[in-house]
Amino acid sequence: MSILASLAPAIAQTTEFVRPAIDWHAFAPELVLLAWGALVTVIDLIGGERTRRFMPSLTGIGFLLAMIPVLTLWSQNDDLPRVLFDGAYMVDHYSLVLKGIFLVSAYVIVLLSSNYMAEGDYYDAEYYQLIAASVLGMLVMTSARDLISIFIALELMSIPAYLMAAWRKSDLKSNEAGLKYMLMGVFASGILLYGMSLLYGAAADTRLVEIADAIDTGETTPIFTLGVLFTIIGFAFKVSAVPFHTWAPDTYEGAPTPLTAFLAVASKAGGFVALVSVVLFAFPHQWEIAEPVMWILSALTMTVGNLIALRQTNIVRMLAYSGIAQAGYMLAPLAVYSKVPDLAQSSIVTYLLIYAAMNLGAFAVVIIAARKTRSGDIESYGGMFRYAPGITVAMTVFLFSLTGIPPMGGWFAKFQIFNALLSAETTAATVLAIIAAVNSVIAAYYYLAIAKQMWFLPAPDGDHSPIVVPPALMAAVAITVIVTIATGSVGVGLVGDATDFVELLASP
Amino acid sequence: MIVALLAQGTPLTETGLWIANTFFYLIAFVAVGAALKMVTTSNVVHAALYLLVVLSAVAATYVILGAEFAAVTQVLVYLGAVMVLLLFGVMLTRAKIGAEDDLDHEQRWIGGLVAVGMLAVMGYSLLEAYGSTQLPADMQPQRVGPISDEIFSTYIVPFEALSVLLLAALIGAVVVARRD
Repeated sequence: MSILASLAPAIAQTTEFVRPAIDWHAFAPELVLLAWGALVTVIDLIGGERTRRFMPSLTGIGFLLAMIPVLTLWSQNDDLPRVLFDGAYMVDHYSLVLKGIFLVSAYVIVLLSSNYMAEGDYYDAEYYQLIAASVLGMLVMTSARDLISIFIALELMSIPAYLMAAWRKSDLKSNEAGLKYMLMGVFASGILLYGMSLLYGAAADTRLVEIADAIDTGETTPIFTLGVLFTIIGFAFKVSAVPFHTWAPDTYEGAPTPLTAFLAVASKAGGFVALVSVVLFAFPHQWEIAEPVMWILSALTMTVGNLIALRQTNIVRMLAYSGIAQAGYMLAPLAVYSKVPDLAQSSIVTYLLIYAAMNLGAFAVVIIAARKTRSGDIESYGGMFRYAPGITVAMTVFLFSLTGIPPMGGWFAKFQIFNALLSAETTAATVLAIIAAVNSVIAAYYYLAIAKQMWFLPAPDGDHSPIVVPPALMAAVAITVIVTIATGSVGVGLVGDATDFVELLASP
Repeated sequence: MIVALLAQGTPLTETGLWIANTFFYLIAFVAVGAALKMVTTSNVVHAALYLLVVLSAVAATYVILGAEFAAVTQVLVYLGAVMVLLLFGVMLTRAKIGAEDDLDHEQRWIGGLVAVGMLAVMGYSLLEAYGSTQLPADMQPQRVGPISDEIFSTYIVPFEALSVLLLAALIGAVVVARRD
């Protein structure tokens, strides 16, 4: 009683709550997706089996609807950047481009999923609800500029993905995929949170800009170094950088293939966005710690990823390791971010856009081919040119793009990375560029081996019956082919003069 | 008692500070001892109960620091939910209840070395950064009111995102755990 009595004056002191001013337009993409996702969930609850077959279309429409406010925000150029909550949440060109990439990728993933999920006796309505939740996390991630928002966006993005990786419940490999992904993800979250708590302890603020300022004024302390290291290692797990990549191949192979595409493209891009935001906005003065770490991670990731990819016979595992190698290229500009911060930022965003298109396309072809061959072996792709010429040409476009052959998009993406590295004009950056170039040649071997299999080698069992391609998968291939070729062709015109885009993204 | 002292807004006296320090060392000693027992015991259920002691000790440290909300959350979430989940996990699966001989991992010495190394690095950095920092003499306990104001204004976006996260986790967990 005495304690309660002594607390009474303190309770009376409680300040009046002030309702925060909220810029609803700036939140519109997230709000539209949130409202639509809730609506779809309720429709599923009421409709049950009757509405089940409309779920993929409804979810896809939701992603397209959320694109509308992204475009209107983009068109009101003068109001950008829109700063909310004292800089904890920011809508600028950087976040809008990324929101666009995530929403279109999510739409393509719904196209990839619809037939696979409907034919395989899965819980498909719930699958789309989880995809929508995960994409909402990605949208929040693009705008989050403080540690708490970034962490929660990362978890909102990852936790539905852990569950979806185990979606093929009767298959032990899928169980293993989900469990491995979750255990490694939770472990990474622990390391990341510890790093973030050290950063908060050193800076006494969760906003990235404030962290940068707080450390700028003082000398770097061991505590801050540890915070930077732990944070980067936590994100390295999420983007499956070597040596934190061990979960990726097993998870990719065991998960349902459309979800593998989601993990390899959208989830990885989400992790990259978090990494880029934290490194560029919170550690601009800490490059002495962050750059060498990034250099090592990048060189290891591209080399190890490529060397293991060379030996794969299963195409999904090969794409998993090639995705690891691609992550290595994307990490490279972060090894020079102090010299060319704007170029580093724009080259990573460019790479993410093109990587999303070409990798989703490759997965679309894998899903189409598996409808006939029921196998993921690279050998089963033999003779595909004879019975499925259109698919073979599309796959060749994606493989050429992944290799980096002009005029496909992948070439322009790699060009931007080399541009950033060489503009830094340091020995370390030049060495990293050489390592990346050598790796591109190694990668060409295993990418082109698949093209060779499809064009020149005979079908393994002499079966030349054509593949029936459902319209949704056809649309997915069409979208990704167009983006892959268009980005490359635009890139040809932009060589040496991509400065507009660089300045646009970097505009504060 | 310390909470009551702080709540009145009075600065801690010499005696009060001495009491707070004594309590801290007592709690820290219990926490470290229980943590060591937790990793060395050969009984899974005992390990869970030792973990309970460690987590309670952390909650008690929060109280000494005047972080009421963190302390209550620690008790509710870790001592309440997480511990119950852990014990249920042990009991509902086919894990053996009682002492086991092969609970130790064969690489425990390497693990121990890594742990000692981490302790050295972390200990050095923390001491270097905060070794000479003292709590302010007029420290006030952290009220719950301002925390809720912050959650519903500055941190409204992560708060809303968390509610979506919980819903998604619920839906997914039902699907994965369901027998069909």
